[in-house]
Amino acid sequence: MRKYLLKRILYMVLTLFLVATITFFLMKLMPGTPYSNQEKMTTAQIKIMNEQYGLNKPVWEQYVIYIFDMLHGDLGTSFQYSNQAVSYLISSRIGPSAQLGFQAMVFGLFFGIIIGSVAAINHNTWIDTTATVVSIIGKSVPNFVLAVLLQYYIALKLGWFPIADWGSFSYTVLPTIALGVGPLAETARFIRTGMVDVLNSDYIELARAKGLSKFGIVYHHALRNSLIPLVTLIGPYTVALMTGSMVIENIFSIPGIGEQFVKSILTNDYPTIMGVTMLFSVGLVLIILLTDIVYGIIDPRIRLAGNGD
Amino acid sequence: MKLAKMFKLGAVVALSAVFLAACGSKSSSSSSSSQVLNWDESAELSTMDLSTATDVVSFDMLNNTMEGLYRIGKNSKIEPGIATKTKVSSDGLTYTFTLRKGAKWSNGEEVTAKDFVYSWRRTVNPKTASEYSYLFSGIKNADAIMDGKQDASTLGIKADGKYKLVVTLEKKIPYFKLLMGFPVFFPQNQTAVEKYGSKYGTAAKYMVYDGPFKLTGWTGSNLTWSLTKNKSYWDAKNVKLSKINYSVNKSTTTSYNLYQSGKLDATPLSAEQAKQLSGKTGYTVRHASSTFYLQYNQNKDAFFKNKKIREAISLVINRKQFVNKVLGDGSTAAKGLVSPGLASYNGKDFATAAYTSDSVSYNVAKAKKLWKEGLKELGVSSLSFSILSDDTDKAKQSTEFLQSAIESNLKGAHVTATNVPFKTRLSRTTSGDFDIVLSAWGADFSDPISFLELFKSDNSYNNGGWSNSEYDSLIDAASTTDAGNTAKRWSDLVKAEKILMEDAGTTPIYHQATAWMINTKVKGVIYNSAGANYNFKDAYIK
Repeated sequence: MRKYLLKRILYMVLTLFLVATITFFLMKLMPGTPYSNQEKMTTAQIKIMNEQYGLNKPVWEQYVIYIFDMLHGDLGTSFQYSNQAVSYLISSRIGPSAQLGFQAMVFGLFFGIIIGSVAAINHNTWIDTTATVVSIIGKSVPNFVLAVLLQYYIALKLGWFPIADWGSFSYTVLPTIALGVGPLAETARFIRTGMVDVLNSDYIELARAKGLSKFGIVYHHALRNSLIPLVTLIGPYTVALMTGSMVIENIFSIPGIGEQFVKSILTNDYPTIMGVTMLFSVGLVLIILLTDIVYGIIDPRIRLAGNGD
Repeated sequence: MKLAKMFKLGAVVALSAVFLAACGSKSSSSSSSSQVLNWDESAELSTMDLSTATDVVSFDMLNNTMEGLYRIGKNSKIEPGIATKTKVSSDGLTYTFTLRKGAKWSNGEEVTAKDFVYSWRRTVNPKTASEYSYLFSGIKNADAIMDGKQDASTLGIKADGKYKLVVTLEKKIPYFKLLMGFPVFFPQNQTAVEKYGSKYGTAAKYMVYDGPFKLTGWTGSNLTWSLTKNKSYWDAKNVKLSKINYSVNKSTTTSYNLYQSGKLDATPLSAEQAKQLSGKTGYTVRHASSTFYLQYNQNKDAFFKNKKIREAISLVINRKQFVNKVLGDGSTAAKGLVSPGLASYNGKDFATAAYTSDSVSYNVAKAKKLWKEGLKELGVSSLSFSILSDDTDKAKQSTEFLQSAIESNLKGAHVTATNVPFKTRLSRTTSGDFDIVLSAWGADFSDPISFLELFKSDNSYNNGGWSNSEYDSLIDAASTTDAGNTAKRWSDLVKAEKILMEDAGTTPIYHQATAWMINTKVKGVIYNSAGANYNFKDAYIK
């Protein structure tokens, strides 16, 4: 297990290094300067500014300097927010995004599992059909459409929740629902399919024959086994929540990181692009590692490499 | 059983949280009687360091929290700020400002002449990397300092005691007083700049203020902040608002919902919203001093040297239809290069005075005739060229409209639209890699010269290579020999724009505007199309 972990972490570091390198050079291929007032600056002024920021150096030299600084924990200062450290921009913005993503994931998984289970238990009845229709709608309505509808009807017309902004828990409810409905629908579909299979299997027959209660069978035997494929989905969910949250953050005026990222690309804010890319990459490789480990734990059939042989 | 317990617990927590949250949000009440204004911003505040500020949000916040020599009032009128008296030497090159006694910074220090000297030197110093320092060009030694050839201390500004400021110019700047109302020329408190070091201007607490309001609640990257009345401001008794709350909403759907619920007093509208709400109570159009215009690349495509070809293109564009039916956001059809409402003389707006209707009207018959003649002169039967523009929705609508207007009316014209990101468009324009480019320009100060300078032969923004010696000499005269004579200078500039338009040196398309919904109880807000847009000093709620 330890050997496996070490190997995986080594690969992770390598992956991150490659991401940093590729992003850096791709980013430098984008035309233009990082200056917001580029339109009105003369070529001579731009030259002086480039010297000031070391952007006149060859790209590989800038790259070496960047990697060196990054390894020393210095992500540089932003161009769009003059003098603001990128590490501060990220740390002050990551909180709301992380909270929103986490809540949406919990919301989606929790209600998804319930709807999926209920549908599977009542296989081929009207309950099943309703659950399927709900999850198809949830899957096919884009989250920004749902966000706008929730904002208009629930927040503006009914006044149950705030329209926008970020603060106490009540501010997070509508964005969480808007962002979490996608994972909810997907989870419900997976759980239903998995559980229908499991419920028809021999060991469930046996459990029934032993006289276990319906409730006990579902929670003890059926659900646990149908959760396995779900773990595979958590990785892709995380990605979807990261990218999906940009739109939701915009609609609900949440001070998150997603929008920062898009804006930094549009304005050639090199240090911010790198900082946020690295943050997303680290998050993603960690999640992937975590799901692989969890996979091994919940499914005894899968033994992590290096352990079974 | 563990799993079941977890589920039950989860369900209870989730449901109770939802209900509790629903209870909590009921406390929405708006008190309209108090002098608190709630304003929408569409982008974050990026800095409060006036030397490095570049965007409208920063300039608006600086304009309301800081005080310069002058404050720009309604219709760009120059109102007293820190300066109480100004003496201009007879050659127009020396300005002596007498400063107000008793103006205070929010840290208790007095605002004195050396704060201006310090601020200006800091901005022109190449180490500060100011993107707006070019506005100092014309002040003695500014260009040499910005090029790194001279020390910042040689700049033509000097403190003569605490209350006298002397500025020396290299050449006359007829709009110099107007510039003094732009935040880049405001004073800075040396104690504060040095105390906060690299953190200066990156959050509300790392700043000092000498203007009508103080910034509060801004952490440097958040989406809400406030301007609170500054009690130590020299004219505090005339500031009526106690607070302005800002919130950043990037979606106009959201900000309009907030407006409808009474949580915002003002919100900008998208084009779709503007089309629906036009004419309703509170609907207000804010014109920007910006013009979208076509540049023809005569250096790359020799056929654009032919005036008839350029003229024909201008005449097939139905600008009115374009701004009303396609854009629909309050933008207006261009009458010329200089935006309307920017500057006026003897009650006449510059755009009206310089209006040459023949060059921007919609006249297909004439255009067809000119085009035919033009092609004949060139000895060709067809012309292919592309129109370069941004890749925003608005820019795409623009190029589509232009493409269809030209192709459907001018026989033998083959037009392709090239939509690229903003920064790419700039790079390609500067390097001359275009046939026609849809450029945009916004004025920094309320003087026609900020537009007209663009088309001088040697101007670095004149990317198409249009050149006219009479035009050049008129622009030169306006900033040299006639600089002191308002009437003469005005007529020079009017004549210059007429030459540019009659020769179809450029084809202006539209002047940008944004439609807003503004609570009708809000009075006294000063909006200027150039420079810092908003001045809330006199604003109040009825």
